[in-house]
Amino acid sequence: MMYIYLVILFYILCTVILNLLDEKSLLKQLNAALVIIPLLLRVLLIK
Amino acid sequence: MANKKTGILILFLSLIIAFLAGREFLNQRKLEPIVKGEGVTEIQKLSDYLPALKGTRGDSDIYVFRGEEGGSALILGGTHPNEPSSLMSAVIMIENLKVFKGTIYIIPRANASAFTHNDPQEGSPQKFHIKTDFGERWFRYGSRATNPLDQWPDPDIYIHAASGQKLSGNETRNLNRAYPGRVDGTFTEKVAYAIVELIKKNDINMTIDLHEASPEYPVINAIVAHENAMPISSQVVMNMEFDDIQIGLEPSPVSLRGLTHRELGDYTNTYAVLMETANAAQGRLRGKTDENLVLTGIDPTYVKAQKIGRLFVPYDDNGHPLEERVGRHLSGIVQHIVVMGENEIDKEIIFEGIPTYSELLENGLGKYLKEIK
Repeated sequence: MMYIYLVILFYILCTVILNLLDEKSLLKQLNAALVIIPLLLRVLLIK
Repeated sequence: MANKKTGILILFLSLIIAFLAGREFLNQRKLEPIVKGEGVTEIQKLSDYLPALKGTRGDSDIYVFRGEEGGSALILGGTHPNEPSSLMSAVIMIENLKVFKGTIYIIPRANASAFTHNDPQEGSPQKFHIKTDFGERWFRYGSRATNPLDQWPDPDIYIHAASGQKLSGNETRNLNRAYPGRVDGTFTEKVAYAIVELIKKNDINMTIDLHEASPEYPVINAIVAHENAMPISSQVVMNMEFDDIQIGLEPSPVSLRGLTHRELGDYTNTYAVLMETANAAQGRLRGKTDENLVLTGIDPTYVKAQKIGRLFVPYDDNGHPLEERVGRHLSGIVQHIVVMGENEIDKEIIFEGIPTYSELLENGLGKYLKEIK
């Protein structure tokens, strides 16, 4: 169960990072940056 | 305006924030040092009673104070790490107690995993500090429940294995809903199982589980006793009243399952008792939640709530300081052990070193905390 959770998280994290790099709006880039922080901590199993 | 360059810059910024936040969260996993008192004869682990816990955050120290042959008692601190008088009572005992006859087992962090995080959206402090003659000592303020990193996901409904009782899903990580536990159960059930094994294998005569409750909760400044322990606890209440400590006595509800005062009494030979003090820092009516509230219990909202009759404990501008709450617990522990020995001589435990209620009020907690070397 934990590994499935991590795979899903990692996939979402990668897509958000790619989205951040491709995004043309600064506000949306900042928005993506905010989303990355908890996702990254969860991938590293830091709560 | 935005491009790949700004994207990389912002990504770098979020990595820095994640690093700082991560470091803060990882710090929460560091447990406070506890000084091994002169009276400690042995330190066991919960994994000695359930090897599956070895190497996990569920494994916890059991401090053993063994004297000549006599009775035995187990003190459970830290079942809910957001109830600090529970941990502190256990720590004061570990650092000061001496046992001459009988055996006392103390687990300061019954749910060690729950000390490694705290509850989201509660704004609780990660730790609190107590001044001593040797400088400050720090102690962890944790969560009511097991860390989700150790047990996840929560079911929608938690079904207590032994009874089929249904509770809210998040109670699945509450140690005090998991008894008698299961050897092949969830992480929390395994911790409960190890504690039950400790009681069974050592034939522990009395188990006292230390808790706190919010001032608006009806069962507060009270002892909750299993029916087997009721004769002892009723004498304890009278003795404490003689010492000017007002305390209530509640029978353990037969239909509320998974709690120490019910399951340990039903599944083992121990006299199972739970004690509650008043902790404003976990209440729903509280204002600013910080170390000061944990240590003093001073909160104007609770004074107001008391005036309009919404509380179950007296509440004034002096709050309920931690030394008072620890004093209540320690006084209750001493009385239970003494009364058990008076009633059944083969279960007598002779000990010294536990500060009294009035000594704690006069000198504070720091006086009874040892220097870390």
